[in-house]
Amino acid sequence: MSGKSFPFRLATLEKRKPTPAERFLSTTMLLLENLVKVPLFRCQRCGECILSHTAFICSQRCPKRLRNGPCGGTGEGGTCEVFPERKCIWFLIHRRARLLGRISLLNRVENIHNWNLEKTSAWLNVFTKRIEPPVIFVRKKDRYESEREN
Amino acid sequence: MSLREKIKAGRFVVTAELGPPQSCNGDVIRKKAVHFRNGVDGVNITDNQTGIVRLSSIASAKILLEEGLEPIIQVTCRDRNRIAIQSDLLGGCALGIENVLCLTGDHQRFGNHPESKGVFDLDSIQLIATVRGMVEGSFLSGEKMKKAPDFFVGGASNPFADPLEFRVLRLAKKIRAGAQFIQTQPVFDLGRFGEWMDGVRKLGLHNRVAILAGVMPVKSAKALRYMKEEVPGVRIDGEYIRRMEESEEPRDEGVKIAVEVIQELKRIEGIKGIHIMPVMWESITPRVVEESGLLDK
Repeated sequence: MSGKSFPFRLATLEKRKPTPAERFLSTTMLLLENLVKVPLFRCQRCGECILSHTAFICSQRCPKRLRNGPCGGTGEGGTCEVFPERKCIWFLIHRRARLLGRISLLNRVENIHNWNLEKTSAWLNVFTKRIEPPVIFVRKKDRYESEREN
Repeated sequence: MSLREKIKAGRFVVTAELGPPQSCNGDVIRKKAVHFRNGVDGVNITDNQTGIVRLSSIASAKILLEEGLEPIIQVTCRDRNRIAIQSDLLGGCALGIENVLCLTGDHQRFGNHPESKGVFDLDSIQLIATVRGMVEGSFLSGEKMKKAPDFFVGGASNPFADPLEFRVLRLAKKIRAGAQFIQTQPVFDLGRFGEWMDGVRKLGLHNRVAILAGVMPVKSAKALRYMKEEVPGVRIDGEYIRRMEESEEPRDEGVKIAVEVIQELKRIEGIKGIHIMPVMWESITPRVVEESGLLDK
Protein backbone atom coordinates (compact mmCIF):
# COMPACT_ATOMS: atom_id res chain seq x y z
CA MET A 1 0.00 0.00 0.00
CA SER A 2 1.50 3.26 -1.01
CA GLY A 3 -0.90 6.15 -0.76
CA LYS A 4 1.19 8.65 -2.64
CA SER A 5 -0.30 11.67 -0.96
CA PHE A 6 0.64 10.48 2.54
CA PRO A 7 3.93 11.31 4.14
CA PHE A 8 4.19 7.77 5.47
CA ARG A 9 3.96 4.16 4.36
CA LEU A 10 1.90 1.39 5.84
CA ALA A 11 3.68 -1.88 6.52
CA THR A 12 1.82 -4.95 5.31
CA LEU A 13 1.75 -8.60 6.22
CA GLU A 14 2.19 -11.21 3.55
CA LYS A 15 -0.91 -13.05 2.50
CA ARG A 16 0.54 -16.58 2.27
CA LYS A 17 0.82 -18.98 5.19
CA PRO A 18 4.23 -19.09 6.87
CA THR A 19 6.23 -22.34 6.64
CA PRO A 20 7.10 -24.19 9.89
CA ALA A 21 10.69 -22.98 9.57
CA GLU A 22 9.55 -19.37 9.30
CA ARG A 23 7.27 -19.78 12.27
CA PHE A 24 10.12 -21.21 14.32
CA LEU A 25 12.37 -18.35 13.28
CA SER A 26 9.82 -15.68 14.18
CA THR A 27 9.04 -17.22 17.56
CA THR A 28 12.72 -17.50 18.43
CA MET A 29 13.46 -13.97 17.27
CA LEU A 30 10.54 -12.65 19.26
CA LEU A 31 11.78 -14.43 22.37
CA LEU A 32 15.31 -13.09 21.93
CA GLU A 33 14.05 -9.60 21.21
CA ASN A 34 11.80 -9.60 24.26
CA LEU A 35 14.65 -10.83 26.45
CA VAL A 36 16.71 -7.82 25.39
CA LYS A 37 14.17 -5.06 24.84
CA VAL A 38 11.63 -5.60 27.58
CA PRO A 39 14.04 -5.24 30.52
CA LEU A 40 16.26 -2.65 28.80
CA PHE A 41 13.69 -0.30 27.28
CA ARG A 42 10.43 -1.47 28.85
CA CYS A 43 9.44 -2.44 25.31
CA GLN A 44 5.69 -2.72 24.77
CA ARG A 45 6.16 -5.08 21.80
CA CYS A 46 4.37 -3.02 19.15
CA GLY A 47 6.38 -4.74 16.42
CA GLU A 48 6.98 -1.46 14.62
CA CYS A 49 9.94 -0.26 16.61
CA ILE A 50 10.81 3.45 16.64
CA LEU A 51 13.12 3.26 19.65
CA SER A 52 15.98 4.73 17.64
CA HIS A 53 13.93 7.84 16.83
CA THR A 54 12.84 8.34 20.41
CA ALA A 55 16.26 8.36 22.04
CA PHE A 56 15.94 4.69 23.08
CA ILE A 57 12.96 5.18 25.38
CA CYS A 58 9.87 3.22 24.35
CA SER A 59 7.21 5.77 23.39
CA GLN A 60 4.49 3.12 23.61
CA ARG A 61 4.50 3.43 27.39
CA CYS A 62 2.39 6.56 26.86
CA PRO A 63 -1.22 5.85 27.98
CA LYS A 64 -2.43 7.16 24.62
CA ARG A 65 0.33 5.25 22.81
CA LEU A 66 1.29 8.38 20.91
CA ARG A 67 4.03 7.94 18.34
CA ASN A 68 4.52 11.57 17.33
CA GLY A 69 5.18 13.53 20.48
CA PRO A 70 3.38 14.55 23.68
CA CYS A 71 -0.31 15.41 23.92
CA GLY A 72 -1.30 18.79 25.31
CA GLY A 73 -1.64 17.53 28.86
CA THR A 74 1.95 17.45 30.04
CA GLY A 75 1.96 19.19 33.40
CA GLU A 76 4.54 21.54 34.88
CA GLY A 77 7.79 19.67 35.39
CA GLY A 78 6.70 17.04 32.88
CA THR A 79 4.03 15.01 34.66
CA CYS A 80 1.69 12.71 32.76
CA GLU A 81 -1.87 13.96 32.40
CA VAL A 82 -3.44 10.53 32.85
CA PHE A 83 -1.27 9.25 35.69
CA PRO A 84 0.05 12.32 37.54
CA GLU A 85 2.41 10.17 39.60
CA ARG A 86 4.32 9.29 36.41
CA LYS A 87 6.52 11.39 34.17
CA CYS A 88 5.28 12.08 30.66
CA ILE A 89 7.21 9.63 28.51
CA TRP A 90 7.70 12.25 25.81
CA PHE A 91 9.16 14.63 28.36
CA LEU A 92 11.79 11.98 29.16
CA ILE A 93 12.34 11.28 25.47
CA HIS A 94 12.89 14.95 24.75
CA ARG A 95 15.33 15.30 27.64
CA ARG A 96 17.37 12.32 26.56
CA ALA A 97 17.21 13.23 22.87
CA ARG A 98 18.75 16.59 23.72
CA LEU A 99 21.43 14.85 25.75
CA LEU A 100 22.28 12.41 22.96
CA GLY A 101 21.97 14.96 20.14
CA ARG A 102 19.06 13.10 18.56
CA ILE A 103 16.49 15.93 18.52
CA SER A 104 16.37 16.00 14.71
CA LEU A 105 14.90 12.49 14.74
CA LEU A 106 11.89 13.76 16.67
CA ASN A 107 10.98 15.81 13.59
CA ARG A 108 9.87 12.78 11.64
CA VAL A 109 6.16 12.25 11.11
CA GLU A 110 5.94 8.62 12.22
CA ASN A 111 3.98 6.05 10.25
CA ILE A 112 0.49 5.13 11.34
CA HIS A 113 0.83 2.00 13.42
CA ASN A 114 0.07 -1.28 11.68
CA TRP A 115 -1.76 -3.23 14.38
CA ASN A 116 -1.10 -6.46 12.48
CA LEU A 117 2.50 -6.17 13.60
CA GLU A 118 1.56 -6.05 17.27
CA LYS A 119 3.47 -8.75 19.22
CA THR A 120 5.73 -9.63 16.29
CA SER A 121 9.49 -9.31 16.20
CA ALA A 122 10.53 -5.85 15.06
CA TRP A 123 14.00 -7.14 14.21
CA LEU A 124 12.50 -9.67 11.84
CA ASN A 125 10.18 -7.00 10.47
CA VAL A 126 13.19 -4.83 9.64
CA PHE A 127 14.89 -7.79 8.02
CA THR A 128 11.81 -8.59 5.90
CA LYS A 129 11.47 -4.87 5.03
CA ARG A 130 8.05 -4.51 6.63
CA ILE A 131 9.31 -1.56 8.66
CA GLU A 132 12.12 0.94 8.31
CA PRO A 133 15.53 0.08 9.76
CA PRO A 134 16.57 1.93 12.94
CA VAL A 135 18.68 5.07 12.70
CA ILE A 136 21.81 4.34 14.71
CA PHE A 137 24.00 7.33 13.93
CA VAL A 138 22.96 10.93 13.51
CA ARG A 139 25.17 13.09 11.35
CA LYS A 140 27.09 15.60 13.38
CA LYS A 141 25.60 18.62 11.66
CA ASP A 142 22.06 17.36 12.30
CA ARG A 143 22.58 16.62 15.95
CA TYR A 144 21.23 19.69 17.65
CA GLU A 145 19.10 21.01 14.84
CA SER A 146 15.51 21.02 16.00
CA GLU A 147 13.92 21.85 12.67
CA ARG A 148 15.10 21.21 9.18
CA GLU A 149 13.37 22.73 6.20
CA ASN A 150 13.55 21.01 2.84
CA MET B 1 -17.21 34.36 2.78
CA SER B 2 -16.10 31.18 4.46
CA LEU B 3 -13.55 30.95 7.25
CA ARG B 4 -10.96 29.61 4.82
CA GLU B 5 -11.46 32.54 2.43
CA LYS B 6 -11.30 35.07 5.26
CA ILE B 7 -8.02 33.63 6.49
CA LYS B 8 -6.66 33.54 2.96
CA ALA B 9 -7.65 37.17 2.46
CA GLY B 10 -5.64 38.07 5.55
CA ARG B 11 -8.56 39.12 7.71
CA PHE B 12 -8.30 38.84 11.48
CA VAL B 13 -10.74 36.04 12.29
CA VAL B 14 -12.65 35.08 15.42
CA THR B 15 -13.73 31.56 16.25
CA ALA B 16 -15.62 30.43 19.33
CA GLU B 17 -16.39 27.17 21.01
CA LEU B 18 -19.74 25.54 21.65
CA GLY B 19 -20.26 22.48 23.84
CA PRO B 20 -23.16 20.25 22.77
CA PRO B 21 -25.59 19.11 25.52
CA GLN B 22 -25.51 15.78 27.33
CA SER B 23 -28.91 14.94 25.89
CA CYS B 24 -30.66 14.71 22.52
CA ASN B 25 -32.11 18.21 22.83
CA GLY B 26 -31.04 20.03 19.67
CA ASP B 27 -32.76 23.23 20.82
CA VAL B 28 -29.93 23.78 23.30
CA ILE B 29 -27.59 24.21 20.33
CA ARG B 30 -30.06 26.48 18.52
CA LYS B 31 -30.29 28.66 21.64
CA LYS B 32 -26.54 28.82 22.09
CA ALA B 33 -26.08 29.57 18.38
CA VAL B 34 -27.70 32.98 18.90
CA HIS B 35 -24.61 34.16 20.80
CA PHE B 36 -22.35 33.50 17.82
CA ARG B 37 -24.30 35.45 15.20
CA ASN B 38 -22.20 38.60 15.29
CA GLY B 39 -18.49 38.84 14.76
CA VAL B 40 -17.77 35.11 15.02
CA ASP B 41 -16.45 33.54 11.82
CA GLY B 42 -16.45 29.90 12.85
CA VAL B 43 -17.90 27.86 15.69
CA ASN B 44 -15.97 24.91 17.09
CA ILE B 45 -18.07 21.99 18.22
CA THR B 46 -16.38 19.81 20.77
CA ASP B 47 -16.25 16.05 20.26
CA ASN B 48 -17.26 14.48 23.60
CA GLN B 49 -14.96 16.84 25.46
CA THR B 50 -13.06 15.33 28.42
CA GLY B 51 -14.58 11.96 27.57
CA ILE B 52 -18.11 12.88 28.60
CA VAL B 53 -20.83 11.59 26.29
CA ARG B 54 -22.53 14.45 24.48
CA LEU B 55 -24.55 15.06 21.33
CA SER B 56 -22.30 14.22 18.39
CA SER B 57 -20.26 17.02 16.91
CA ILE B 58 -21.31 16.31 13.33
CA ALA B 59 -25.01 16.33 14.21
CA SER B 60 -24.53 19.60 16.13
CA ALA B 61 -22.66 21.03 13.17
CA LYS B 62 -25.61 20.24 10.92
CA ILE B 63 -27.90 22.16 13.28
CA LEU B 64 -25.50 25.12 13.20
CA LEU B 65 -25.44 25.03 9.40
CA GLU B 66 -29.23 25.22 9.42
CA GLU B 67 -28.91 28.25 11.70
CA GLY B 68 -26.65 29.88 9.14
CA LEU B 69 -23.37 29.60 11.09
CA GLU B 70 -20.11 28.07 9.98
CA PRO B 71 -19.15 25.05 12.10
CA ILE B 72 -15.69 23.67 12.74
CA ILE B 73 -16.03 20.05 13.83
CA GLN B 74 -13.53 18.68 16.29
CA VAL B 75 -12.46 15.11 15.61
CA THR B 76 -10.65 13.15 18.30
CA CYS B 77 -8.78 9.87 18.04
CA ARG B 78 -10.00 8.57 21.36
CA ASP B 79 -13.30 7.04 20.30
CA ARG B 80 -12.87 5.96 16.71
CA ASN B 81 -10.42 4.01 14.64
CA ARG B 82 -9.29 4.95 11.15
CA ILE B 83 -12.34 3.33 9.53
CA ALA B 84 -14.90 5.21 11.63
CA ILE B 85 -13.05 8.53 11.40
CA GLN B 86 -12.86 8.42 7.61
CA SER B 87 -16.49 7.35 7.39
CA ASP B 88 -17.63 10.18 9.69
CA LEU B 89 -15.62 12.70 7.71
CA LEU B 90 -17.26 11.61 4.46
CA GLY B 91 -20.62 11.99 6.18
CA GLY B 92 -19.66 15.42 7.49
CA CYS B 93 -18.66 16.55 4.03
CA ALA B 94 -21.95 15.32 2.58
CA LEU B 95 -23.77 17.47 5.15
CA GLY B 96 -21.84 20.55 4.09
CA ILE B 97 -19.19 20.77 6.83
CA GLU B 98 -16.02 22.44 5.63
CA ASN B 99 -13.76 22.81 8.64
CA VAL B 100 -12.16 20.04 10.66
CA LEU B 101 -10.04 20.39 13.77
CA CYS B 102 -7.93 17.29 14.40
CA LEU B 103 -7.17 16.43 18.02
CA THR B 104 -5.72 13.50 19.90
CA GLY B 105 -8.46 13.78 22.51
CA ASP B 106 -8.54 13.70 26.28
CA HIS B 107 -7.96 10.34 27.89
CA GLN B 108 -11.19 8.47 28.70
CA ARG B 109 -10.11 8.22 32.33
CA PHE B 110 -11.33 11.79 32.94
CA GLY B 111 -14.81 11.26 31.54
CA ASN B 112 -17.98 9.64 32.74
CA HIS B 113 -17.05 6.26 31.27
CA PRO B 114 -13.55 5.80 32.68
CA GLU B 115 -13.61 2.04 32.15
CA SER B 116 -13.99 2.31 28.37
CA LYS B 117 -11.30 1.34 25.88
CA GLY B 118 -9.38 4.24 24.45
CA VAL B 119 -8.83 3.70 20.74
CA PHE B 120 -5.99 6.07 19.80
CA ASP B 121 -5.54 4.24 16.51
CA LEU B 122 -4.11 7.44 15.02
CA ASP B 123 -2.68 10.48 16.76
CA SER B 124 -3.50 14.09 15.94
CA ILE B 125 -0.59 14.50 13.51
CA GLN B 126 -1.45 11.32 11.64
CA LEU B 127 -5.10 12.39 11.65
CA ILE B 128 -4.19 15.71 10.02
CA ALA B 129 -2.25 13.81 7.35
CA THR B 130 -5.18 11.44 6.89
CA VAL B 131 -7.67 14.26 6.34
CA ARG B 132 -5.31 16.00 3.94
CA GLY B 133 -4.93 12.73 2.08
CA MET B 134 -8.70 12.51 1.78
CA VAL B 135 -8.84 16.07 0.47
CA GLU B 136 -6.36 14.98 -2.18
CA GLY B 137 -8.66 12.12 -3.07
CA SER B 138 -7.33 8.99 -1.41
CA PHE B 139 -8.25 6.90 1.59
CA LEU B 140 -5.67 5.89 4.14
CA SER B 141 -5.43 2.54 2.37
CA GLY B 142 -4.26 4.33 -0.76
CA GLU B 143 -7.49 3.64 -2.62
CA LYS B 144 -8.88 6.55 -4.59
CA MET B 145 -12.32 8.00 -3.93
CA LYS B 146 -14.66 9.26 -6.63
CA LYS B 147 -15.40 12.61 -5.02
CA ALA B 148 -12.91 14.07 -2.59
CA PRO B 149 -14.16 16.07 0.41
CA ASP B 150 -12.94 19.64 0.56
CA PHE B 151 -11.90 20.28 4.13
CA PHE B 152 -10.05 23.14 5.75
CA VAL B 153 -7.85 21.24 8.17
CA GLY B 154 -6.69 22.49 11.53
CA GLY B 155 -4.84 21.32 14.58
CA ALA B 156 -4.42 22.42 18.16
CA SER B 157 -1.32 23.51 19.99
CA ASN B 158 -0.63 23.95 23.67
CA PRO B 159 2.12 26.53 24.19
CA PHE B 160 1.90 26.10 27.96
CA ALA B 161 2.72 22.43 28.44
CA ASP B 162 6.29 21.35 29.02
CA PRO B 163 8.78 21.13 27.38
CA LEU B 164 8.50 24.38 25.45
CA GLU B 165 10.98 23.38 22.75
CA PHE B 166 8.98 20.24 21.93
CA ARG B 167 5.79 22.32 21.59
CA VAL B 168 7.29 24.34 18.75
CA LEU B 169 8.72 21.19 17.19
CA ARG B 170 5.33 19.51 17.35
CA LEU B 171 3.67 22.52 15.72
CA ALA B 172 6.20 22.19 12.90
CA LYS B 173 5.27 18.52 12.55
CA LYS B 174 1.58 19.38 12.37
CA ILE B 175 2.29 21.89 9.62
CA ARG B 176 4.36 19.33 7.75
CA ALA B 177 1.47 16.87 8.06
CA GLY B 178 -0.75 19.48 6.41
CA ALA B 179 -2.42 21.67 9.05
CA GLN B 180 -3.80 24.91 7.63
CA PHE B 181 -4.86 26.59 10.85
CA ILE B 182 -3.93 26.16 14.50
CA GLN B 183 -5.99 26.97 17.57
CA THR B 184 -4.11 27.28 20.84
CA GLN B 185 -5.12 26.49 24.39
CA PRO B 186 -6.41 29.53 26.34
CA VAL B 187 -3.79 32.14 27.12
CA PHE B 188 -3.51 33.15 30.77
CA ASP B 189 0.25 33.62 30.72
CA LEU B 190 1.31 36.12 28.10
CA GLY B 191 4.99 35.76 28.98
CA ARG B 192 5.07 32.07 28.18
CA PHE B 193 2.93 32.60 25.09
CA GLY B 194 5.41 35.21 23.88
CA GLU B 195 8.29 32.78 24.35
CA TRP B 196 6.46 30.17 22.32
CA MET B 197 5.69 32.69 19.57
CA ASP B 198 9.37 33.65 19.48
CA GLY B 199 10.20 30.03 18.75
CA VAL B 200 7.46 29.87 16.14
CA ARG B 201 8.65 33.03 14.39
CA LYS B 202 12.26 31.88 14.48
CA LEU B 203 11.31 28.93 12.29
CA GLY B 204 8.96 31.03 10.16
CA LEU B 205 6.03 28.78 11.05
CA HIS B 206 3.63 31.72 11.44
CA ASN B 207 3.85 32.32 7.70
CA ARG B 208 2.87 28.77 6.85
CA VAL B 209 -0.17 28.38 9.10
CA ALA B 210 -2.85 30.65 10.56
CA ILE B 211 -2.44 30.73 14.32
CA LEU B 212 -5.57 31.57 16.29
CA ALA B 213 -4.79 32.30 19.94
CA GLY B 214 -7.16 30.91 22.55
CA VAL B 215 -8.88 33.16 25.07
CA MET B 216 -11.16 32.01 27.87
CA PRO B 217 -13.48 34.34 29.79
CA VAL B 218 -13.97 32.93 33.31
CA LYS B 219 -16.77 33.52 35.78
CA SER B 220 -14.95 33.28 39.09
CA ALA B 221 -11.61 33.01 40.85
CA LYS B 222 -12.61 29.50 41.83
CA ALA B 223 -12.81 28.44 38.19
CA LEU B 224 -9.35 29.92 37.53
CA ARG B 225 -7.85 28.20 40.56
CA TYR B 226 -9.46 24.92 39.54
CA MET B 227 -7.88 25.21 36.09
CA LYS B 228 -4.48 25.98 37.56
CA GLU B 229 -4.54 23.07 39.97
CA GLU B 230 -6.59 20.39 38.26
CA VAL B 231 -6.29 20.85 34.51
CA PRO B 232 -2.91 19.63 33.25
CA GLY B 233 -0.95 21.70 30.77
CA VAL B 234 -2.49 25.03 31.79
CA ARG B 235 -0.47 27.98 33.01
CA ILE B 236 -2.14 30.87 34.79
CA ASP B 237 -0.54 34.12 35.80
CA GLY B 238 -1.07 34.55 39.58
CA GLU B 239 -1.96 38.18 38.92
CA TYR B 240 -5.20 37.19 37.18
CA ILE B 241 -6.27 34.99 40.09
CA ARG B 242 -5.56 37.82 42.53
CA ARG B 243 -7.59 40.27 40.44
CA MET B 244 -10.51 37.85 40.23
CA GLU B 245 -10.42 37.29 43.99
CA GLU B 246 -10.35 40.96 44.85
CA SER B 247 -13.03 41.97 42.41
CA GLU B 248 -16.56 42.53 43.66
CA GLU B 249 -18.01 41.66 40.28
CA PRO B 250 -15.92 38.65 39.27
CA ARG B 251 -17.92 38.12 36.07
CA ASP B 252 -17.14 41.64 34.84
CA GLU B 253 -13.52 41.20 35.86
CA GLY B 254 -13.39 37.93 33.89
CA VAL B 255 -14.58 39.71 30.77
CA LYS B 256 -12.14 42.56 31.42
CA ILE B 257 -9.24 40.13 31.66
CA ALA B 258 -10.31 38.36 28.45
CA VAL B 259 -10.54 41.69 26.64
CA GLU B 260 -7.11 42.75 27.89
CA VAL B 261 -5.56 39.46 26.78
CA ILE B 262 -7.15 39.84 23.34
CA GLN B 263 -5.74 43.37 23.00
CA GLU B 264 -2.27 42.09 23.87
CA LEU B 265 -2.54 39.10 21.52
CA LYS B 266 -3.64 41.30 18.61
CA ARG B 267 -0.34 43.12 18.90
CA ILE B 268 1.80 39.97 18.65
CA GLU B 269 3.27 39.39 15.22
CA GLY B 270 2.02 36.21 13.58
CA ILE B 271 -1.38 35.94 15.28
CA LYS B 272 -4.08 35.67 12.63
CA GLY B 273 -7.11 35.45 14.86
CA ILE B 274 -8.67 34.74 18.22
CA HIS B 275 -10.36 31.57 19.41
CA ILE B 276 -12.79 32.27 22.25
CA MET B 277 -13.51 29.35 24.58
CA PRO B 278 -16.37 30.33 26.88
CA VAL B 279 -16.76 26.95 28.58
CA MET B 280 -20.39 26.69 29.84
CA TRP B 281 -20.73 30.46 29.36
CA GLU B 282 -21.48 30.86 25.64
CA SER B 283 -23.75 33.86 26.32
CA ILE B 284 -20.76 36.06 27.16
CA THR B 285 -19.22 35.75 23.69
CA PRO B 286 -20.98 38.79 22.11
CA ARG B 287 -19.81 41.03 24.95
CA VAL B 288 -16.20 39.86 24.71
CA VAL B 289 -16.22 40.29 20.93
CA GLU B 290 -17.71 43.76 21.17
CA GLU B 291 -15.58 45.11 24.01
CA SER B 292 -12.34 43.92 22.45
CA GLY B 293 -13.16 45.67 19.19
CA LEU B 294 -13.28 42.50 17.12
CA LEU B 295 -16.58 43.47 15.50
CA ASP B 296 -15.11 45.98 13.08
CA LYS B 297 -12.04 44.15 11.91
